[in-house]
Amino acid sequence: MKDHAAILQDVRRGMIPAHIYNDEEIFRLEAERVFGRSWVFVAHESEIPAPGDYVVRRVLDDSFIVVRDEHGTVRALFNMCLHRGMQVCRAEIGNASHFRCPYHGWSYRNDGRIVGLPFHRDAYGGEAGFGRRGQTLLPAPALDSYLGMIFISLDEHAPPLREYLGDFAFYLDYYVKQSEAGIELRGPQRWCIKANWKIGAENFAGDMYHTPQTHTSVVEIGLFREPKAEKRKDGCTYWAGAGGGTTYKLPPGGLRERLRYVGYPDDMIDRMTGSWSAPQQALIGDHGFMISAASVFPNLSFVHNWPKVAERGDIEDVLPFISIRQWQPIGADETEVLSWFAVDRAAPEEFKRLSYKAYLMCFGSSGMFEQDDVENWVSLTSTAAGSMARRLRLNSRMGLLADGSTVADPLPPAEFAGPGTAYVGYNEHNQRALLRRWADCLERPAAAAGAVEVGVP
Amino acid sequence: MTSAERSGERSGERSGERSLPFGDERHLLAHQWLVDEAYLLDAQDYDTWLDLLTDDIRYLMPVRVTTALGAGFDTAPGMAHFDEDKYSLGRRVARFATEHAWTEDPPSRMRHFVTNVRTFATADPAELIVESAVLLFRSRGDVRESALVSAGRRDVLRRTPTGWRLAARTITVDESVLRMQNLAVFL
Repeated sequence: MKDHAAILQDVRRGMIPAHIYNDEEIFRLEAERVFGRSWVFVAHESEIPAPGDYVVRRVLDDSFIVVRDEHGTVRALFNMCLHRGMQVCRAEIGNASHFRCPYHGWSYRNDGRIVGLPFHRDAYGGEAGFGRRGQTLLPAPALDSYLGMIFISLDEHAPPLREYLGDFAFYLDYYVKQSEAGIELRGPQRWCIKANWKIGAENFAGDMYHTPQTHTSVVEIGLFREPKAEKRKDGCTYWAGAGGGTTYKLPPGGLRERLRYVGYPDDMIDRMTGSWSAPQQALIGDHGFMISAASVFPNLSFVHNWPKVAERGDIEDVLPFISIRQWQPIGADETEVLSWFAVDRAAPEEFKRLSYKAYLMCFGSSGMFEQDDVENWVSLTSTAAGSMARRLRLNSRMGLLADGSTVADPLPPAEFAGPGTAYVGYNEHNQRALLRRWADCLERPAAAAGAVEVGVP
Repeated sequence: MTSAERSGERSGERSGERSLPFGDERHLLAHQWLVDEAYLLDAQDYDTWLDLLTDDIRYLMPVRVTTALGAGFDTAPGMAHFDEDKYSLGRRVARFATEHAWTEDPPSRMRHFVTNVRTFATADPAELIVESAVLLFRSRGDVRESALVSAGRRDVLRRTPTGWRLAARTITVDESVLRMQNLAVFL
């Protein structure tokens, strides 16, 4: 790519060439250099609780069966028969002891090992012609998990997931470790939007600025009291390790009062205090910041909001929900959204029921927040396709002065107990941090992966 | 979720009973009810539409999933696109009435095509079950491709002192991955 270095240089100084949101050449580079080496979320262990349970998930065009084998080990198997390349599993979810290819009948145990190869002796001369012993469906080059969140990487030399996440793990715990039982996922809802995958990831990473404008209607109908402009800018953004997110500043109180304020019942609060570290508790209890949206590079996002879910009562009767979502790229101008509802497994059933309702009203395919977000992102993507977008450098320098110094100072540890760097108020520090990681990936060619030959004695 | 809960429902179970003859008055009124409703949805006259729903309405659109033949389920366990009551439907309608529901400003051009209507009597003469197919065409702006949603519906219509009202609707969408940017629509 001829002006590749210039694009990355512009991105790094916060001046974004608008066409990166709809550019085939950029997309091909992303496929190789972002998705070819990053850890990509594929499933949560609660989606496949029993031996044989599987879900089929993709990393771009590569289909993987994420399955719990008979011994309870979670595996990610490339969904392609070793013989002629058929998908051996054409369902999205199910339970199977074996996967049998419909083309010629090769079959595989749910740990990937070949178990059936019709006419092995007659057709291949047995092991002498095709070494069946030890052959398996190709495993994902790397698989790792954090608190039940299963990720794979197409780079066999990827660093351990925990190392990749870095200090973001501190914030991940607010979503996935509200008790020692962890979360359970439902879904995902899946739908396609004509929008570039980066836009959602950037938005969830740090865009507090859009909330009062894009989501005005949600405040007007009394669904969510928080996003009023004056209130939202009291929150802070933070970036730590592989991700970053946004927070709301809650009214005065301690940890318990503030968790009650967003609608958690006391028994859940008791479990949170048992499973979060002292600094994790201090960030809410002492410093008053409650996590809301977040993204982990490249395409995994989270949201935690607390809307009003029932007619009775006043606006103070709110209930929190958590959603985990993935921006699965389909092309430069299209993304499949996978949106899960997540809830603490130990939560009371009534809480789970209402939290699910809160999720459906706010996010996901029919969610009232999400509806307006997507309208914006589709419009941006469409406009980014043309030649004028190649001239325009979008100013993504909010929070920075001309000399590169910040408008506000980062919060000191006495005001923000979490790791990383946090700033109060509207800024685009996190979007820039995300795109800097993107630029770091894009400038490094991926190492050529070795060929895997099957059955050669 | 436990392993038993992991299996979703089998969607779109058809009633074993025979549908009412097409000349039956109850079928005629049910069919007309659906066509009149489609007019309101196309016109986005949602306040009027909301009045046609009973206060205990359950409005459900499960997420469909691709499963092996014989798996026994084809919906995502515990997850839906819509799982609404009168309050949440009311909030959605109220949102469209604000001046800031950007996804429908400018509004979509929509057409709900309703067909394959079958009506079933129930033990309660004040309730009818009505099955239908709906194809929603939605066009936004001038450069975007239009979008379609195809679904089956199974409704419970209830006779009330003010006329027939929708008491329950289950929407069986025909795609596991929707090709529409959002469901800022009703089916």
